[in-house]
Amino acid sequence: MTDARESDEALMGRYARGDAAAFVLLYRRHELRIWRYLERNVGNRATADELMQEVWFAVAREAVRYEPTSRFTTWLFTIAHNRMIDSIRTSRQQVSLETLGYEAELVVQQLTTEPNVGPLAAVVVRDQAVALRQAIGQLPREQRDAFLLQIEGDLSVEEVATITQSSFEATKSRLRYARTKLRELLSEYA
Amino acid sequence: MSKLPPSQDQPEDVDDRYRRASALDPSRPSEAVRRAVLAYAARLPAERATADAGREIERTRTAVNQAWWRPAMLASLAVAALAGFLIAPRFLALRAPPVAATSSAEGSVRNTAPASVAQAPDTRTDKRAPPPPAASPERTARAPAFTRSADMRSPTGRARPKVNAPSSGATAAVAAEPASVQNPDAMGGLDARQRRAPANASATTAIAAAPRAGAAVAPTAAPADPAAAFRRAAEIGDLSGLQVLLVKQTDIDSRDAAGRTALMLATLHGQTDAVAALLVYGADPNATDASGATPLQAAMAGDHPAIVAALQRYGAR
Repeated sequence: MTDARESDEALMGRYARGDAAAFVLLYRRHELRIWRYLERNVGNRATADELMQEVWFAVAREAVRYEPTSRFTTWLFTIAHNRMIDSIRTSRQQVSLETLGYEAELVVQQLTTEPNVGPLAAVVVRDQAVALRQAIGQLPREQRDAFLLQIEGDLSVEEVATITQSSFEATKSRLRYARTKLRELLSEYA
Repeated sequence: MSKLPPSQDQPEDVDDRYRRASALDPSRPSEAVRRAVLAYAARLPAERATADAGREIERTRTAVNQAWWRPAMLASLAVAALAGFLIAPRFLALRAPPVAATSSAEGSVRNTAPASVAQAPDTRTDKRAPPPPAASPERTARAPAFTRSADMRSPTGRARPKVNAPSSGATAAVAAEPASVQNPDAMGGLDARQRRAPANASATTAIAAAPRAGAAVAPTAAPADPAAAFRRAAEIGDLSGLQVLLVKQTDIDSRDAAGRTALMLATLHGQTDAVAALLVYGADPNATDASGATPLQAAMAGDHPAIVAALQRYGAR
């Protein structure tokens, strides 16, 4: 059960055969990545929590039908992407800078109360965290989605294009624009 | 945005900064979400296993699982019962002897020992012979065949009431039934169910010997006790026999010496249709035998999934 080298696909196979412990391993491996992808896309913790639960429920339900024709990560982020898009379409929820700013403040409060973070480091971390969240929040939705998919899911351009149902070239452009914009927005915090 | 030229330089600096900031980001999903997800994931395999088992039972169910089965069975039983009521009295009336002889014969039956009842030879031609003294072993061994005739003289046309022998005695007697009693003529108007039935359905040896004893059991050792005949009918899956006896208001939950009801016997012998019929007619699905075993336990032990399903539908535990 604790074999860290066991592939995600093998763990899914074990879970499909009834081994619930395999699911726990999978969840722990990918929990934070999925969470960041969702939370930074929707900019709201409560919504991200709901989506997080829906995504993993879907993973558990679909395990018996999962066929490892592609990487588990690709399949997982496809589910997350689809849920996130559905949520946005349903609620017409848009990520606002104010929301992101509010969420960023919460993160900063948590950071500055960390016992291992000194006063100076706390300031730097706070600045970077706020800057990062605000910069991501300023990206157009498609660019933000593509960037987060690639960096949180460790996905290739082709995989991101498949998940977002876009062409390879369009996806590549979105990623390039997203990074350029982020670099520009973050330059003052460098 | 279109002002921004597509960057061809290394993007790793942005990615690195993102990753460093993310590593310091304490934001996490709530604990409630984590618990809910893991609990759901742990529950699903168990539910799948249960559902699979249910599907397997559904697949192995045959007639019991079909909507038309129950009405069709009831209609068939009703037709059989009607035919029985219309036809049986004619046969009985033709063979009815004088009332005096009936009384005499009944008296002889009651006087004979259980063993003599069971070992009755075919003495159909000796119907009018006086009953042998109960104390005479030889005469007893040649038990009067007219006991069957007496059965047939019942004013109501019913099977002979209570000539039951004790369980052990009857068992031995049926097993030792002489060949002469296999004469089909000896059966007269008795129905096949009565011919097949042993004196006491609880006795295993009697059940085993029943086919060999054949007609012999009918006149004397056959389950003149309707309850025994009823249990025997359940045991061999004789639906028309069950129906006939139910019409006669036989106790559906009567028990043999081992405390087994007709439902239990039908279950033990895998008689799915009989079990279903008994349940429809109100047999107690939880009636235990002398050892405390329930029909459901017996069905599970005997690997009869269709019977298990039928019993559970009627509240068996």
